[in-house]
Amino acid sequence: MKNTNLAKRLQDSAIWIFIALELAFFGIAGEFLSLSDGNFLAPDNMLLLIKQTVPLGIIALGMTIIMINGNIDLSVGPIFALCAIVMLDSMTWPIFAGLGDGVIVIAWALAILVGVVLGAINGFIVWKTGVDAFIVTLGSMLGYRGLVFLYNGEQPTYHLNWTLVDIAESAPLGIPLPILIFAGCILFTWWLTKRTVHGRNAFAIGDNRTAAVNAGIRVGPHMVWNYVLIGLLVAISSATFYSASGSVNPNDGMLYELWIITAVVLGGTKLTGGRGSIIGTVGGVIAIQLMRKGLGHIGADTAMVNLVIGSILIVVLYLDRQLNRKGEEELNS
Amino acid sequence: MAQSHLKAVGEILAKHGILVAFILFMIAFALLNPRFINSDNLLGVVRSSAILGVMAIGVTFVVVSGNLDLSVGSMMSFSTIVVLDLHDKLGPLLGIPAMFAMTMALGALIGFLVGYLKLNSLIVTLGMLSAIHGLTLTYSGGKNMDIADKDGTWFGFFGQGELLGVPVPILMFALLAAGLTLVLSKTPFGRKVYAVGGNGVAATFSGIPRARIVFYCYLISSFCVAMAGLIQASRSLGSQNTVGQGLELQVLAAVILGGASLLGGSGTIFKTVIGVLILGFIQNGLLLVGLEFYVQYIVTWVIIILAVWLDIAAKRGQLWSPIA
Amino acid sequence: MNFRKTLVTTTALASFAMVGAAAAADYTIGITQNNVGVDSYQTTYEKAFIAAAEANDKVDAVVLDAGGDVARQIAQMEDLIQQNVDAIIIWPTNGQAVIPAVRKAHNAGIPVIVTNSNIAEEGFDFVRSFSGPDNVTQGARSAEIMCDKFKEMGIENEAQVVQISGQPGYTTAIERAGGFEDRLPEVCPNVTLVETQPGDWNREKSQQVMEAFLVKYDDIDGVYSGDDNMGVGALNAAKAADRAGDIIFVGATNFAVGYEAMGRGEYWGSIYQSPVDDAEAALQTAIDVLDGKDIPFLNYFDTPKITQDNMSEFDKPVF
Repeated sequence: MKNTNLAKRLQDSAIWIFIALELAFFGIAGEFLSLSDGNFLAPDNMLLLIKQTVPLGIIALGMTIIMINGNIDLSVGPIFALCAIVMLDSMTWPIFAGLGDGVIVIAWALAILVGVVLGAINGFIVWKTGVDAFIVTLGSMLGYRGLVFLYNGEQPTYHLNWTLVDIAESAPLGIPLPILIFAGCILFTWWLTKRTVHGRNAFAIGDNRTAAVNAGIRVGPHMVWNYVLIGLLVAISSATFYSASGSVNPNDGMLYELWIITAVVLGGTKLTGGRGSIIGTVGGVIAIQLMRKGLGHIGADTAMVNLVIGSILIVVLYLDRQLNRKGEEELNS
Repeated sequence: MAQSHLKAVGEILAKHGILVAFILFMIAFALLNPRFINSDNLLGVVRSSAILGVMAIGVTFVVVSGNLDLSVGSMMSFSTIVVLDLHDKLGPLLGIPAMFAMTMALGALIGFLVGYLKLNSLIVTLGMLSAIHGLTLTYSGGKNMDIADKDGTWFGFFGQGELLGVPVPILMFALLAAGLTLVLSKTPFGRKVYAVGGNGVAATFSGIPRARIVFYCYLISSFCVAMAGLIQASRSLGSQNTVGQGLELQVLAAVILGGASLLGGSGTIFKTVIGVLILGFIQNGLLLVGLEFYVQYIVTWVIIILAVWLDIAAKRGQLWSPIA
Repeated sequence: MNFRKTLVTTTALASFAMVGAAAAADYTIGITQNNVGVDSYQTTYEKAFIAAAEANDKVDAVVLDAGGDVARQIAQMEDLIQQNVDAIIIWPTNGQAVIPAVRKAHNAGIPVIVTNSNIAEEGFDFVRSFSGPDNVTQGARSAEIMCDKFKEMGIENEAQVVQISGQPGYTTAIERAGGFEDRLPEVCPNVTLVETQPGDWNREKSQQVMEAFLVKYDDIDGVYSGDDNMGVGALNAAKAADRAGDIIFVGATNFAVGYEAMGRGEYWGSIYQSPVDDAEAALQTAIDVLDGKDIPFLNYFDTPKITQDNMSEFDKPVF
């Protein structure tokens, strides 16, 4: 029993140990290799690091709950792009012309509406058809990308509003606004998983769906809510990021699902469902951004970055397996 | 008793469902544009589907055994680049087997990780997708790889040649499909693949060496990828490093369309081939009807969901999921 | 933990070997590239840039690659501002989305040079100079090459053309297609552009697109591709269908494969654009800015027409 506890604790902190190692490595290697005068570990640089994790990070929070619940969402990339398209485009719609900068609030609301609706569509298909979430969201990953292109052909959607950019780049209390939004989302999802019935049910369903059904949990609606939640978080992430950049390419968000799932798994969430933590996921996204940024800092090229990130993912998976050998059968998908 | 009866009927329905859908498609497109059923076009679609098809056949083994392979696209880029490079360095006779060996070494690595170390296949192959891309870029230095003397080589045979009036890629696709159909449906090994995918635990208890079976499935998959890389390289005698990028999802879509369950234990090569052809004809048909390329994304989405849904519905005997 | 350490150490050693020790120099110039490894042009550009920077004692270069991802490029801009480099060169992944990040650099007092593919006009206030090819003119020149050839063949009143464009959403693709589409009716008013489909800068994709075109249209007289890599894909498709002889292929960014195909008489013409010139021009522009020299805002380097007729005047491209 004690052993299991120790293993569990090691497990929970593994990602942070990993981050510490990365920091030490890039901090030292950076002194020798980097051309920049700045110290990699300088507080400003670390703050920037966290800010850069925000777009992926917010989505990863939702993915954590989806995966704890035993599902997956491969369609976050096109949802990310579509929310931004509607947000930026709506600011130019004639019906909102009289609102001045007040249109910004409406644009945000529309972005969130889009995210929630697309998430709900995924959720309802998963619930009502009984088709595996992997297939459903693989399909909508294609389908939603088609919608992205349908909206504006192959052209980027573009609206530069400096008020919007200034809001997105503002830093109340010296902390960049995206970080504050990220922190808010972390708090909310943490509360949701740790302190609510919904959170408890997510673990229960992911752990053993039949038992959950027998215990009277309404699995279907529960899953729909989770997809609505991830849609909402994708929309928040999209609004945060694109408010600051003002333009979306129809290809934006491609491969995001890959990085996000990687981060969530690095953070200790089980693909089979039933286990995972929001804090672990935050560690996961930071670890990945740190790796990218650090490798860039010491001058590694694209090939090296791909090799290292791919290998680390597998090594971490192996260590994770070693740390909790319980003879579990690996799952399918 | 009654239930197994129902299930049997369902399975037959599901099997025919995909064929019926396929035929309906062909008729609809043919009505919209008669050129669609022009034999040149039909042959052309099959030929350009051959690469995807060859890869999908291999992935079918992996999926039937209850795993996933997302690394095939980036592995295909690797084998294409390697064989083009070795063609000029070693000559095609040595270069082709060397490329097969290198690609299958990657397959063996994945097979080892998923089979023997029992790591989750989704994450392992996701990691390999990225790592192999890095490997390819390192190998080529990021440059396009081209055969120097394009007119003086017979290497184009695999991608552009014809044998008895049939394009060689189609021939290779057909032969591979036939051969591996035999392996999957008529050999003890094939039965074990289904057993491992159908219920891994029970298979282990009944003495089937699960790890080894999974290992071989990845080896077969990488063999098929090498074959696809060969056709690809031979088709254009030159390539960029990202030639296979994104193919893993199309391959998976084809396998799913063919009705293989991602939970493992079901699926056949024949149905995968149908899935590949459906995707190929959708793409071609929409282009011919003059619809933008992205419409095919939406159509593929609808078709995938419908196909899998109806398949499941037929098996469980009710349209809507019983989940409360 | 051993595994991780080993990996980390290996990476460290590899990186040492790759980069070598940093030396002090007058200027540190950061560059964030669009997507290295997607095609030979960008890879050659990166190598040429690094080589040019190493050959110049005054300069240290921080070379980053955005991998085609806007978010990553913006993060890299922020990193470079954070590192307080003396100048930033950016090859935009999206001509509009990077404007706020460019403004940030401008506000931090770091001059920004845009390379290869320009950003949108709203951002011009924050940019010191653009260095690169004039993609609109390139598209226009490709139209002229094609039209001239049609006139020579006497089919300028009936010819039908298809276009294979670059990756949707990328400035270079949009500008070239725009230049071509605007110029073609001016020089050859009776030539029709029947259809455009994207080939995503990808040879295989272009080959498939062309295969479909060939089935759909019995009469194709010309193919314009956004670059030669795609053009050669289209050529391969036409050769497989035995129709290559009837079709005039014109591209842009002359690749080695395109040059060779021109040598074989299969490919008619293209635009000669060297990534080495492109990279060196960008670096030189940055140095000139830092030296306080007076430089024009639009710093185009010339990209001449190349066809079978004049190809002997050009070296074969190295990429």
